[in-house]
Amino acid sequence: MSGSRSHGRSFLGWRGGIAISLALLGSVVPLASGVSHAAEPPSPEDLTFFESKIRPLLIAKCVDCHGADLAESELRLDQLSGMLGGGVSGPAVVPGKVDESLLLSAISYKDSALQMPPDAKLADDEIALLKDWVARGAPHPEAEGVAMPAPRKSAIDLEQAKQYWSFKPISRPEVPVVSNPEWAVNPIDNFILAELESRGLVPARPVDKRTLIRRVTYDLTGLPPTPEAVDAFLADDSPAAYARVIDRLLDSKEYGEHWGRHWLDIARYADSNGLDENVAHGNAWRYRDYVIRSLNRDKPIDQFIVEQVAGDLIAKQELERLAAAEPAAAAATDPAGVAVTDEIADLRIATGFLTLGPKVLAEADKVKMRMDIIDEQIDTLGKAFLGMTFGCARCHDHKFDPISAADYYALAGIMSSTQTMETLNTVAKWNENPIPSAELLAARRTHQAQIDELKARIDAKFTGAVAVLKADDSIKAAAAAAEAAAAAAEATRAAEAAAAAAKTAAEKAEAAKAAVDAAKAAPQPADLTAAPAVAEPAATTEPATANSQTAAAPAAPAKPAEKPEELEAKFPEAVRTELTQLREQLKQLEQSLPKIPTAMGVRDEAAIADQRIHVRGSHLTLGVSVPRGVPQVLAPAEPLVMPTAASGRMELARWLVSPENPLTPRVMVNRVWRWHFGRGLSGSMDNFGLLGEPPTHPALLDWLASEWPRMGWSMKNLHRLILLSNTYQLSSEPIEQNLAIDPDNRYRWRADVRRLQAESIRDGLLAASGLLDGSMGGSMLHVGNHEFVFNHTSKDDTSYATYRRSIYLPVIRNNLFDGFTLFDYSTADVVNGDRDTSTVAPQALFMLNSDLVLETSTALADRLLREEPADDFNRIVRLYQLTLSRVPETAEAEALLQFLAAFETAATAAASAGEAADGTNPAEAKPDPRREAWVAVCQSLLVSNEFHYVH
Amino acid sequence: MMHRRRMLQTSAVGFGHVALSAMLHADAARGKDLRNPDSPSRHHFPPRAKRVIFLFMKGGPSHMDTFDYKPQLQADDGKDLPFDKPSVQFAATGKLLASPWKFDQYGENGMHISALFPNVAKCVDDICFLHSVHGTNAAHGGALLKLHTGSDNFVRPSMGAWIHYGLGTENDNLPGFITICPTLAHGGVKNWGSAFLPAEHQGVPLGVASKPSTDAHVKFIQNRRWSPAQQRMQLDLLAGLNRQHLAEHAIEPSLEARIASFELAFRMQSDMPEAQDLTQETEATLQLYGLDQPATSDFGRQCLLARRFAERGVRFIQVTHSDTNVQWDQHSDLKAGHDKNALEVDKPIAGLLIDLKQRGLLDDTLVMWGGEFGRTPVAQGTNGRDHNPEGFTMWMAGGGVKGGYRHGATDEYGYYAVENKMHIHDVHATLLHLLGLDHLRLTYQQAGRDFRLTDVAGKVHSEILA
Repeated sequence: MSGSRSHGRSFLGWRGGIAISLALLGSVVPLASGVSHAAEPPSPEDLTFFESKIRPLLIAKCVDCHGADLAESELRLDQLSGMLGGGVSGPAVVPGKVDESLLLSAISYKDSALQMPPDAKLADDEIALLKDWVARGAPHPEAEGVAMPAPRKSAIDLEQAKQYWSFKPISRPEVPVVSNPEWAVNPIDNFILAELESRGLVPARPVDKRTLIRRVTYDLTGLPPTPEAVDAFLADDSPAAYARVIDRLLDSKEYGEHWGRHWLDIARYADSNGLDENVAHGNAWRYRDYVIRSLNRDKPIDQFIVEQVAGDLIAKQELERLAAAEPAAAAATDPAGVAVTDEIADLRIATGFLTLGPKVLAEADKVKMRMDIIDEQIDTLGKAFLGMTFGCARCHDHKFDPISAADYYALAGIMSSTQTMETLNTVAKWNENPIPSAELLAARRTHQAQIDELKARIDAKFTGAVAVLKADDSIKAAAAAAEAAAAAAEATRAAEAAAAAAKTAAEKAEAAKAAVDAAKAAPQPADLTAAPAVAEPAATTEPATANSQTAAAPAAPAKPAEKPEELEAKFPEAVRTELTQLREQLKQLEQSLPKIPTAMGVRDEAAIADQRIHVRGSHLTLGVSVPRGVPQVLAPAEPLVMPTAASGRMELARWLVSPENPLTPRVMVNRVWRWHFGRGLSGSMDNFGLLGEPPTHPALLDWLASEWPRMGWSMKNLHRLILLSNTYQLSSEPIEQNLAIDPDNRYRWRADVRRLQAESIRDGLLAASGLLDGSMGGSMLHVGNHEFVFNHTSKDDTSYATYRRSIYLPVIRNNLFDGFTLFDYSTADVVNGDRDTSTVAPQALFMLNSDLVLETSTALADRLLREEPADDFNRIVRLYQLTLSRVPETAEAEALLQFLAAFETAATAAASAGEAADGTNPAEAKPDPRREAWVAVCQSLLVSNEFHYVH
Repeated sequence: MMHRRRMLQTSAVGFGHVALSAMLHADAARGKDLRNPDSPSRHHFPPRAKRVIFLFMKGGPSHMDTFDYKPQLQADDGKDLPFDKPSVQFAATGKLLASPWKFDQYGENGMHISALFPNVAKCVDDICFLHSVHGTNAAHGGALLKLHTGSDNFVRPSMGAWIHYGLGTENDNLPGFITICPTLAHGGVKNWGSAFLPAEHQGVPLGVASKPSTDAHVKFIQNRRWSPAQQRMQLDLLAGLNRQHLAEHAIEPSLEARIASFELAFRMQSDMPEAQDLTQETEATLQLYGLDQPATSDFGRQCLLARRFAERGVRFIQVTHSDTNVQWDQHSDLKAGHDKNALEVDKPIAGLLIDLKQRGLLDDTLVMWGGEFGRTPVAQGTNGRDHNPEGFTMWMAGGGVKGGYRHGATDEYGYYAVENKMHIHDVHATLLHLLGLDHLRLTYQQAGRDFRLTDVAGKVHSEILA
């Protein structure tokens, strides 16, 4: 890459201002500036105004640069057609439209990217004159009888653009004939072999069974094969043995955990926001589990995609359909929300895809924040489903791809009609959608009934005690007190009986009323007439709350107002203690009320609206409005009709997976190929634009992209097709003659030697050592939703101390697990369909010194000592089987035995010399030299190249 | 081709420079061009500085209380600001608030420096003040990201990563980009990350802001179980296993590179502690940096480590002054807060400048000082100042900049940059220029276009070049 490739200079305009070497917006923008109308002839007064005030001003301040000689940025202000037709940024003047006229925006100096004149702002009265002129309809002598100019021709030639390979409709190429048809197990092999033959390359030999089962097991599950699985495969001589292994692996839960992780790279999945304010995505895990579930169930990927873009809208339709079918059930809605089935919950969870991106949550400029969030969504949608980089078109037409700013704002209109955020106030919060199950709502009702019952008991207890108290206070007779006490006791009994009888929330109100009535009915001490009002329920749904929360609740006191807590202070101690206990019970009960679960996700905005083009990406300089839709170059022959009452996400989602969009199937099968082989048929996984890499096997890519929808978009069937091909089962042997022609193996004449990905390194260490915890799903975050994982204190209390599979580790942006960051894990910020494989020394430090490696080495040594207590040689065999899926050569075993002896001797000497390494665990103050030697050996195997690479 | 180039690049550059020769041999055997076409040719023009030490003051130090003297502000204390405040502000502010510190004149040009920095004041003849720096973001997170990566809303490589990508390192056994006690908040790792640049260009953190600098170490640099002798035995076994494996799998550069990476890691385990071993320093040096005083010892140690890394060829060293709060963020109690903060850094910074100079390192080491923004000349509450990205002061010293020089200016109160305005992009462009890199040509292609540290902006302010 040479420096001259930088296109930055073209952005740097004259006189230090940021110029506008942008492609033309004109023709791709629907005509919103009244272009088709002939102008009204201006009145003589208006013309005088123009000639006396406006023309001199333009000549003095603007025309030097924007005249016939220079026409900077292709804009001329010395003629009406120039002003109306505009320069590279679009029309400068839109008659009558003050807020759409770029000229006014530029002279206002509102937008730092476009300030004219560049040297000094015009005087306020000059600005006012120009504004007035535009508001009057921009009267100009040239307008008389002159039709408005047609908009400029776009820089983007759509017809030409559609000829690029990735935008063409998917073809159904003929399966090529090959000279060695025996070799071709399925059409993939025909395509591969035909290309090899044409280039004088020969395919490598088939791989041996041990290597194959290790390869395919890591490939499908991210884990090493167990020694038992290896033995079983080796013992199975039937032709279907390999297909059976594939089926077994595809049926395992570990399949979804591994391939789900691939998709999470595309979804830039994370459990925290990162960027400026790192708050927890407390419910992101639901999306992660949804992905795993979907893959394990082999959900058709077209459906999977539609759900992630518009699942909430499908859920809405589904609920409306159910309501129409069963009006009675729909009418009995729960105040806490409508119960949803697991399927509908998944639809709401799925749109978390749109919400998971990193966001600037403390942005003071709320309009900018909103557009930045939409931008992130468009960037993600484009790369994830279309392999297109739309981000450039936020500010200007894409430099290379046929994507205009209008295309961008057509998508932005869909996303701005979608509600992603609950609030933009600092720290901003994203929207979440409720997903309560019927069981959960029932449990909540039961729980609420218990709360109501307890409240009633507390109120009754309080009321009764007040009655007793007042009786005591009464200067009337002790008899009256006794009577009152009896009455109070009666009231309490009645209240408790009524409360106990209550089983539902509705009955609860009745019960409370009954309790109150009972208290009222009791003979009243003279000065206590108001006391019973204490427990008067405010509403049937909120019965008898007065004294159940705290003693501070209003007690409706009598003449000398006594507060409830003052009254309560006079209660007998036993009563006070009991009240305290009951209130504590109530508090716990209320705290344990099952929460309505929610999932990150979007919904449609109340207001549906198209977006206006943001000139140079700035929300301060708005251009014309663009109808919502999909990019022109990909637009179907029959235009999409965008609803006026919905965002259009449903239409977008359906279009993504429609036969009319060639990109999504191409991008997806290319990814699946990449994840199986280490490199895609096109090498630029997330960029199918003009700067992407054209595929090495375009016919194969199209054949797969046409075949896959026919297979019902089934991932598992696509895996079978690829894995059963001979191409996948090649060995990694180098062939001299091929190396000379195709050293990088672009034409797939052998298997590549590939390092494990970060998760498989960790999971492999845990699996081999026996520490792996295979439990599935759920959250491992240690902070609540929206809470800071890092606030300003930089205090790090993220914990990765778990032996569960790597996919379940929290993905804390800005503080990923070291073992991930070091080994080329996704940064979780942007779509990443093509992780790197770097080799740097800090990785070796991690392998030599990290807790994970030392713990797994120790556990593996202990496992070996336990499982093979008697024999060193057997133990070494087991070690090789567990780590490398093979048995050692005799020489290898002997080398290890020698090392063990030498290390044990050295460790013994070191222990006696007291030469412990720094930070030795006191519990292991006297390490067993033999065990130490085994730990050292285990670590060597676990960090060896052979363990970390698949052949 | 792309793939192999990338592999070469990710394996063979910078910290963990691994088995390059082995790989080049492998390539040479196949008659390939050995030059890595993805890497820019080192310098675009002769450099003025070879390395950078960035002293980052987290939270936003107040420019008109430190280096940007505003007599008019002192005169108009308590009056209304006579012009508009920015349309987007972080918090509500009131009337003009005079600086509570006295300014004295220092150096050959009689430069006004406040009483907060009496030691740095004595070094003004080596310092080039940039008084017209401005950014776009009024919140800490966005402003930190803008300053460190050039973008406050997209994930982009940090300036240290760009510089490391452009220039590589001078010492393969140490990281080429080190950040000492960085803050994990407000962008955290993104402020020293490599984003889409290859991973080896990212900064290597030593410790974190919430912990004392005595705890600042590279992760995994020490083994808690094996003695060096034991680990050597183990590495020999590993090398044997790997070599045999390699023999069975012919030419695989990545396998060779990985073998070499373990040997390099083993060397780093001894080189890194050596670089951090302050017992090699004299008592006088320790005192110069304030290591003998409780208030200055923590930041002093960071500055001294920075000098030791600079001596050893580390390309970009960031030192962060931040405690468990947002250190310089005095929304209230400006006086007490800035007194404490300046006390902690003044002596160590002066010590660093003096020490670099006396060792002849200041000529080709660029020291840069600043926060993510400045503060408002108007009061927040009664005695605080709000964030102000509209105009603030950073400074540079050594490495090819004019000493005793003031560049640009804010208005008479210090609210807005008005003269020779220097956007953060301009600071970056100028910084790269000093290192011999053209910000327009230091590019990396990603997701369909070339990216730069300066995005589509940036202007070199050549007025400050010595």
